[in-house]
Amino acid sequence: MRFAGVFLKKFPRCLLLFLVLSLAAPAWAEDIKVEARLIWGTNDDKSPDPSHKSVDKDLSKRLGNVFKWKNYFEVNRVNSTIPSRGTKKLEMSKACTVEITELAGPKVEVKLMGKGKMVNRTVEVLSRGNCFTIGGPDKNETAWFVVVTQL
Amino acid sequence: MKQELQLQLQSYLDGELSGREARQVAALVEQNHEAQSLLGELRMTKAFLAGNEPEVTVPESREFYWSKIEREIARAEKSPASAGSGFLLAWRKHFAPLVGVALVFFLAVGVVQHYDLSLFDGNTQMENEVENNSEFTSSFSFRSHPEKMFVVWVQDKSAETVSEVDLEIMDEVEDVVIQ
Repeated sequence: MRFAGVFLKKFPRCLLLFLVLSLAAPAWAEDIKVEARLIWGTNDDKSPDPSHKSVDKDLSKRLGNVFKWKNYFEVNRVNSTIPSRGTKKLEMSKACTVEITELAGPKVEVKLMGKGKMVNRTVEVLSRGNCFTIGGPDKNETAWFVVVTQL
Repeated sequence: MKQELQLQLQSYLDGELSGREARQVAALVEQNHEAQSLLGELRMTKAFLAGNEPEVTVPESREFYWSKIEREIARAEKSPASAGSGFLLAWRKHFAPLVGVALVFFLAVGVVQHYDLSLFDGNTQMENEVENNSEFTSSFSFRSHPEKMFVVWVQDKSAETVSEVDLEIMDEVEDVVIQ
């Protein structure tokens, strides 16, 4: 009975606190900084394009543990800030564009555009340390990847 | 001399005896020399004390003096109550605990965001949508937990099947979704 009395006495305050926190929660939606990298995977030791740099060891190891290629070269890198609930288009190459939208969750919607046409749309939880990769086969037993990470 | 007689003499000197008692003591004193000498000493002592007692006077009247004391007591009693009353008291009683809880909550959210501790680990992480939007391509997705990587693999429809796809660790791959 005493517990019930205390509960009834404190309940309005707890409810008020809960409402305040619930209302405040959406305010935490914030801009996110992302990095998108266009990567080329190959078994050759060197890229035919001298401007391509090898990706850092960590990412190379992670990609190597998932895919079969030995070497991964960075073709392009775009850093951008996606506004809260906003969208940004990142041009990875002339033919490839990714459109990233920040959603509640926190999630991101990533649209892959090939030559102006939408090829794929994915909604995924993006958090620091995790990466989202879209890839596909390329000519001569190579592959391309777009790796999106949160900074 | 008896102590009772000594006290009677003192009372006689102070005028505290009734008329009959006073007359009896007066008659006794006339007859008793010892009583006369004691009464003389007492008179002398009384006169000495009355003549030399210091008289302390206050600058204010008695009423004003006590009213000052009353006001000071009232002020002293009121001051601690006023400090803790009103808004501050209500704040301490109702809002301070709420502010404390809110601060802890904000701190927890901050820590989670700063250290990237996922609040929604597990099932929520799996909640993703993959949509293939081209009639010429197919896609499948999978998650590699060891590498913390979610992969969407897009290929021409005419290309090889999933089992032939260029993945090294298909046995470690989880939740493959083919589109």
